[in-house]
Amino acid sequence: MIKKSLTKTMNPGVRFLINYAVPIIFVILVAFAIPLSGLSGLYFIRELMLRLSRNSFLILSLLIPVMAGMGMNFGIVLGAMAGELGLVFIMDWRIIGMPGLLLAILISTPIAVLLGYFAGIILNRAKGREMVTGFMLAFFMNGIYQLFVLYGMGNIIPISNSSILLPRGYGIRNSISLLGIRQVLDKLIPLKVGDILIPVATLLVVAALCIFIVWFRKTKLGQDMRTVGQDNEVARVSGINVEKTRILSIVISTVLACYGQILFLQNIGTMNTYQSHEQVGVFAIAALLVGGASVAKANIPNVFIGVILFHTMFVVSPRAGKALMGQAQLGEYFRVFVSYGVIAFSLALYAWRKRVEKENERKKIMNYRKSILAK
Amino acid sequence: MSKRIIIRTTLVAVLILIGIFLYTIGKEHKVLIDNKDISVGNVICSASTTYVVRVDDQEIGVIKKGERNVAMVTGTSHKIVVEEIKGNVLTGEKHEKRFKLKTSESATINIPAMINNANEWIDKTN
Repeated sequence: MIKKSLTKTMNPGVRFLINYAVPIIFVILVAFAIPLSGLSGLYFIRELMLRLSRNSFLILSLLIPVMAGMGMNFGIVLGAMAGELGLVFIMDWRIIGMPGLLLAILISTPIAVLLGYFAGIILNRAKGREMVTGFMLAFFMNGIYQLFVLYGMGNIIPISNSSILLPRGYGIRNSISLLGIRQVLDKLIPLKVGDILIPVATLLVVAALCIFIVWFRKTKLGQDMRTVGQDNEVARVSGINVEKTRILSIVISTVLACYGQILFLQNIGTMNTYQSHEQVGVFAIAALLVGGASVAKANIPNVFIGVILFHTMFVVSPRAGKALMGQAQLGEYFRVFVSYGVIAFSLALYAWRKRVEKENERKKIMNYRKSILAK
Repeated sequence: MSKRIIIRTTLVAVLILIGIFLYTIGKEHKVLIDNKDISVGNVICSASTTYVVRVDDQEIGVIKKGERNVAMVTGTSHKIVVEEIKGNVLTGEKHEKRFKLKTSESATINIPAMINNANEWIDKTN
């Protein structure tokens, strides 16, 4: 029987190991995989810089729902879909360069707000099971998205650009070239250090989002979200509209995820119309958890530690897999396995800690009652 | 009307205007550039030499007699500069024209007509 909460153990070493189990495992894995991969330092830094600028925004979009006690928002997939719709429209209208990127953002914002509002309402009806509901919601919306893009576009919504249309005359092609807006933000302020291109503008945008999140936490709404995150009933008694606050946190997260997906795809330069958004939630959440976040607590350093560790694994695992077993494909399988494994492990760890803490609280109360009765 | 509705309506209107502005300045147009003979009324403007073509300060390339090239431009106002080449040497003879395109338009520019200042130097199509 567990006598004491392991998260509140007297031994700080054990406490540290439990709290940071996922990042510690990842650091060990990465430390083994880097020398095995045989990648040059320059290539490694270049890849990491690219992935840092490409993924940070998406992962930052997860922080606000955690603040509101809604856990990891698997519903960011909805935001990603909204972003992709914006990109489909600008490619149809042939709007290129920075105006194209901004117009995609402008078009997709109301779609993301609507989808976020819808997700918020659903998640309010599934209190306590937000993550699994968000996950299923993403699958459901993916079906609607596919129906809309595959049958609606060209049929109901006129599409004039035949290069993005399927040969049958309706439906968008499986893959769209985003050449017109490719790396338009990354190369807005060109800076090269040696052979490494630093995407200054993208990093500035990410920094601006970090500042926004820090500022947002101090606002009335941010404080309300933290209160809601700690205890719904206490928040309600304090006069906070809990349901509205929770919906707002999901709306903000969905809109940020929409922008994150647009930044992600402008960096890559091609869009897989039916699949680009599918893994967004899983990979962003896995990266955040690898950074030391938990379902109940996540901050900005977790995002960057997570991106660095998780994507280091992404970069080195195919080569390490090849060096170890002679097949790069094994490394690919390994990283997918690791992504899902990290999420499962973090969730299990969180549930276990919660259970132990609850048990201890119950024991404390029982002991207190016993001592009162004894007196 | 309440103040809140007025503010929201204004915000939506401003966003729509920003959208229209971005659409106009970011719209890509196809401009075909011909170095071919063209008859303007009774006069024939004939292509006689090779030109280096620049559109909006972006080099499109060398267009030989009887050839066509394509330039992709964004926005509404544009500038085309053609410079004559004889025997692989730039003669220094430059011709410059400015033109505007509506959001739905594409254009075909004929260099001999442009050099002869004929009105038919540009043919805009929707």
